[in-house]
Amino acid sequence: MELSALLQNLLNGLAIGSVYAIFALGYTLVFSILGIINFAHGAVFTLGAYFTYTLVVGQFENNGLFKGVNLFPGGSPLSGHPVTFALATLVGAALAGLVAVLIERVAFRPMRSRGADPLLALVSSLGVALVIVNLIQLLVGAEIYNFPSDAYGEVRPALSFTLGGNVVIIRTVQVVIFAVSLVMLAVLGFVIGRTKIGKALRAVAENPTTASLLGISVDRFIVITFFLSGFVGGLAGTLVGTAFGVAGPYFGVAYGLKGLAVIVLGGLGSIPGAVLGGLVIGLAEAFVPADYSAYKDAVAFALLFIILLVRPQGLLGRSAIQKV
Amino acid sequence: MSDFLSTYGFLIATMLQASLLGLSLYFPLQAGQLSLASPGFYALGGYAAAILLTNPAFGGLRDALGNGMFPLTWLAGALIGGLMGVVVGVPALRLRGIYLALATIAFVEILRVVSLNLTVTGGAVGIFGIPQTFGFQDRWQYIFLFGPLLALTLLFARQLERSRVGRALRALREDELAADAMGVPPTQYKVLAFVIGAVLAGLVGAMSAPFLNTWNAKQGTFDSSITILAAVLIGGSRNIWGPVVGGALLAAIPEVLRFLADWRLVLNGLVLVVASLYLPQGIVGALERLGRPRPPQRPAPQGPAAAAKVNP
Repeated sequence: MELSALLQNLLNGLAIGSVYAIFALGYTLVFSILGIINFAHGAVFTLGAYFTYTLVVGQFENNGLFKGVNLFPGGSPLSGHPVTFALATLVGAALAGLVAVLIERVAFRPMRSRGADPLLALVSSLGVALVIVNLIQLLVGAEIYNFPSDAYGEVRPALSFTLGGNVVIIRTVQVVIFAVSLVMLAVLGFVIGRTKIGKALRAVAENPTTASLLGISVDRFIVITFFLSGFVGGLAGTLVGTAFGVAGPYFGVAYGLKGLAVIVLGGLGSIPGAVLGGLVIGLAEAFVPADYSAYKDAVAFALLFIILLVRPQGLLGRSAIQKV
Repeated sequence: MSDFLSTYGFLIATMLQASLLGLSLYFPLQAGQLSLASPGFYALGGYAAAILLTNPAFGGLRDALGNGMFPLTWLAGALIGGLMGVVVGVPALRLRGIYLALATIAFVEILRVVSLNLTVTGGAVGIFGIPQTFGFQDRWQYIFLFGPLLALTLLFARQLERSRVGRALRALREDELAADAMGVPPTQYKVLAFVIGAVLAGLVGAMSAPFLNTWNAKQGTFDSSITILAAVLIGGSRNIWGPVVGGALLAAIPEVLRFLADWRLVLNGLVLVVASLYLPQGIVGALERLGRPRPPQRPAPQGPAAAAKVNP
């Protein structure tokens, strides 16, 4: 492979890999606290993108029950400038976080209080995902919506240079994705590793009963966890939507599955693991030769299958202590 | 009667087929193994049948065998399901709980991407114009295939449960370590249960390819894994009638709710949520409980340790 192509693939892989990483963090946060996988996380990803789109555009002209509705008759106050777009992204992510909290209320809490089989939580979260995805389809149709192309000065690449006769292009949106992901990871790492909230979260993750005996309100921290999970999920949705366009209600389904591969590869419940897993899968996909690009979607699952056989606890996971 | 069959026959055949797929997931569950691989084996069986029935390479064989071709495709579907069951099962069954579930999801996804890109599977379009089994004129006639197969499978499942093997499987489900200590080799029995499910799914796939007339990568997806799992859990995962009731019910719901038009998929999701919240033992489990009151369940352990040891 030529140096220019190598560099281009590396940059593309890091950008998409960092999105995988922050998306997968949402899974891993919930898993580390509750020991369950929230299968509605992919739907939250989709919702994040749609919320942001609604904030910056405010109308869905193509299809669905909202067809023709225009929230901002004079044009959205949040469109047209990268700063307002960033604001819309954050609000969209926060709304996705609220939906995640609602999901916990509806699909997980009633079961938790009863101590039901974790499998049932899987099914109920899938039910929620079905509801969300099909509601989106009903309301705004199944079409692709594109964010305004000036969102991040998309017209002009952030950087392009020639290397050995080939042009290497870094899109502005890739830089934004990478930067946002780094910031997000740093913030989350700080919150979980250094603050009091983070300490309490880790205590709940370690042992909910002991934590509650120590005066930690377990329910409250579970709500916080779900909000954070939904926030990073929704953020990832907007970032991917900005890069590729929001491709309909099923937008997040494929990411939902890939996110599972990411967290298992890194180690279930491990935050650095989710980051590493995301980058590994992003890079692995970027380096699939063009002739085999149709098989790109299988890469994450091939890696998942292999890691499960070789090292089930993942790259950075602790091996679960088996009950004897 | 013929009016009834032409109206509801297709639905009944679909319900029988869904029940069979539910049972294919039930067998590994019986040994405590949550496998979501059934749609993968189902898709493989269907592709095997579709290729045998349409590919020009088998034209000579088709001419020679006539209607005998159809039982041959069933055999092929069952064999491929079983073979792949061994290939996937032997390594994957070292995993437990959610890890096994994820590994089987990965298997289904890889299979989907591969079948989407091969020429022999028709790529994204798939294989179409699959001839009808024994020249059936109406789709409801597939009741004659799925019905007896379901009866045989239930009979087999019941005999299995009552046999030494069935007791070993149940012991594994309840407590693998204790079963191992009592001399039940876990790996052999787990693979056996997994392969039985795979054979059944492959066989159902082979019968379903003509039933659906076309076969493509949509037949084996994560969505179908979930639909089947939901059917088993909603019906009840501890009784052979659970997957049958659940499969039939979930196959019927979209038809019954047809008048709700676009809202029925939303409602489908709600059904999953409500059923998993309020029928933790499934419908059959709830009915059983009506008969004999049982002490309240011990709360499940929480935290990652609980998920690492999922005992359905």
